[in-house]
Amino acid sequence: MGAPRSSTVKFRMPTRDNLVPIRVDVEVDGQRYRDAFTWNPRDPDTEIMSFAKRTAKDLKLPTSFVPQMFHSIQGQLADFRSYEGQDMQVKEKIVPLKIDLRVNNTVVRDQFLWDIGNLESDPEEFARTLCDDLNITDPEVGPAIAVSIREQLYEIASQSVSAMREAKMSKKRRAPEFASNSKAMNNAVDMFKYFGSKGSVIRKRKEWYLYAPVVDVISNEKTVVVAKDEAKL
Amino acid sequence: MSPAAASGEAPPPRPPRELYTIPASSSWFRWDDIHDAERQALPDFFGGAGGSGVGTASRNPRIYREYRDYIISKYREDPARRLTFTEVRRALVGDASLLRKLFGFLDSAGLINFSATSSRPAAPRPGVGADAVLEAPLGLQVTPRPPPSFLEERRGGGEGVLRLPQLTSYSDVFGEWAPGKGPLCGFCGQECRDGKVETLKDGFKVCSKCCKTNSDSKEEANKFSDVKQENSDNHASSAWTDAETLLLLEGVLKHGDDWDLIAQHVRTKNKSECIARLIQLPFGEHMLGTINGKPDSRFQANQTTDGKTNHCIVKEASSQSTEVVDGMQIDGEEDGADKLVEEHPSKRRRLCSSIDATGSLMEQLALLTTAVTPDVVAAAAAASIKALGDENPQAKKAFHLSEKEYQGKSFSSNPFQESNCNVGDQEVEMHGKTVSDKKMEKKFISTAYQVRAAVGTAVGVSAARAKMLADQEEREMELLMASIIETQLRKIQYKIKHFEELELIMDQEYTTIQEIKESLIKDWLKVLKRAFETGAPIQRDEVLTKLFLSKAAP
Repeated sequence: MGAPRSSTVKFRMPTRDNLVPIRVDVEVDGQRYRDAFTWNPRDPDTEIMSFAKRTAKDLKLPTSFVPQMFHSIQGQLADFRSYEGQDMQVKEKIVPLKIDLRVNNTVVRDQFLWDIGNLESDPEEFARTLCDDLNITDPEVGPAIAVSIREQLYEIASQSVSAMREAKMSKKRRAPEFASNSKAMNNAVDMFKYFGSKGSVIRKRKEWYLYAPVVDVISNEKTVVVAKDEAKL
Repeated sequence: MSPAAASGEAPPPRPPRELYTIPASSSWFRWDDIHDAERQALPDFFGGAGGSGVGTASRNPRIYREYRDYIISKYREDPARRLTFTEVRRALVGDASLLRKLFGFLDSAGLINFSATSSRPAAPRPGVGADAVLEAPLGLQVTPRPPPSFLEERRGGGEGVLRLPQLTSYSDVFGEWAPGKGPLCGFCGQECRDGKVETLKDGFKVCSKCCKTNSDSKEEANKFSDVKQENSDNHASSAWTDAETLLLLEGVLKHGDDWDLIAQHVRTKNKSECIARLIQLPFGEHMLGTINGKPDSRFQANQTTDGKTNHCIVKEASSQSTEVVDGMQIDGEEDGADKLVEEHPSKRRRLCSSIDATGSLMEQLALLTTAVTPDVVAAAAAASIKALGDENPQAKKAFHLSEKEYQGKSFSSNPFQESNCNVGDQEVEMHGKTVSDKKMEKKFISTAYQVRAAVGTAVGVSAARAKMLADQEEREMELLMASIIETQLRKIQYKIKHFEELELIMDQEYTTIQEIKESLIKDWLKVLKRAFETGAPIQRDEVLTKLFLSKAAP
């Protein structure tokens, strides 16, 4: 055991597959299309167009959706690519991730820990296991959970990149890198508390409920109500 | 790897054990060690992927074991239920994807969920596959209990808990009971390899062969003609054939409890096997109780060496005599402690007999006397006689007289016989069935002394026995104490190790801080130099000055 080792890599998703979470929310003529999926940033942009066309056709949406979808996806991919090429510090850092989403009639709330520095992590696999273990039959839930995880990881990774860049800029001016460190560590799990020789990785029983998934299947009428509430937000 | 091979490097036995049936493919698992298979499957914990060799704060062998032990214990709380990752993860602090990997490994290696009956169709696991047939588990593996920290999590009895009776004689009879082998058959002492084990009501495991022969013998004990020869040929040394059982019974009837002679009579079995077999027979104990002709007669022979009318004990007080002979039987078992196979019945019997005794002190004393070996009785008797003699010269005379009488009858009179006759005497007294001998009146005084001697003997014997038991307890206490101390030592050693690790970390941190300081000072110097060159005014920086000074100081 030693001090958490850190290395610097070019920016990427801190998961095994470098897939970017994409969330599309487009409204045309009172019709709304909302979706979330992952995208391989190595795919050529022509794929986006064919994807948008295909989706509109499958969902029987008017063709006016296609350009909007295209722009939404392309914009998000451009954001992602703007980070690429920059340095990202990879070091062991365990953060709590929260899931709180509704897919059709299923509401899932969950919290668990994730190592940002683990470039071998696999959110899809995790989501699949979760659905298997809890007997969630709706096939849309698993991908939604995976996308939610990816979104959070993406956010943390991009923050860390910006922090690095800021640190570099300020380093040129004067300050050493202490400031950025404490900022980035704000909500990470205290390593020493749990993993030090005094701590235990077995969580206290009274804290179990915090880290156990809660799944509700709500009725159709309620779904409508909830959906309306969500739409207002 | 076969379970038998795995037992070769089994950990040193610890007293409380629980028995789990695990797939043979996972028999490499040890609570107190990490196997190479684990290192290969999960290199993250052992620095394999990172290459640092030691792992990091949240990924190192210690953390791995904590995770692993928790998950396995959790599963064993209720082995019939499938443990899911989602269930486990709420109780473990750590990277969810890493935990998932670990869980997947334990699951596929057959360390958890191996006997779970889940509604979910179990995915065919490579390597285990068809081996995990429910009727005939391949390997029985004894694993030591998990460290006590997990015991609080554990709900009461797991599956198939086998507690061996705490008997020295058990291991003496059946040889070294190697953990990891199959259960030993209570009849034949062989390992039950085929895994089909029947448990008798006493907690004895009996292998299928013996079970079969046993039931056979029950049915056919009286039909000698129907011997299944082909059955016996297969396992001549282990199982009892009907013929052998019959020979055994004959031998018991003929030779009483002289097991050497009985073993000779049976020929194909040795002494301890004969004893074990007879006790296992459904009517074995009963038989020993009723065929007391032999031990009785021997007993009687001893008693009649005295000139008094001791035959009447056996004839008249038949109920008592069986009790006494019961005691004798215990005596025999104690005598060859290695022959003793079953402790519980005899223990119970001993308890009952001493409590049941109808309130007569004498009777109880007699029983106590018979509860130990003849040598002890002899010594106690000699001591009590000597003490009485010292107390009262007349007593000496009385004993002297009776001694003479022995010699007159030209029997070798050893103290054992004497003590036995004393016992007999007192019984005669108690039952008031006295005594048709003419010399009796004359010898009343001497008899009284003999009774006193007998009482002394009995008390002495029971005291000796109590002392022995106390010694045994004391030894056990010492043993436990030693193990406690050893555990404490180990704990302290672990602590020291951890402190060393901490120190190492601190050292590393310290050097990095030093480096940072140094570079800072260099930078500062550079700035100063530059400023000096350009001639710009520099205001004093308290912090940096201090830093510089502190750096310069050591």
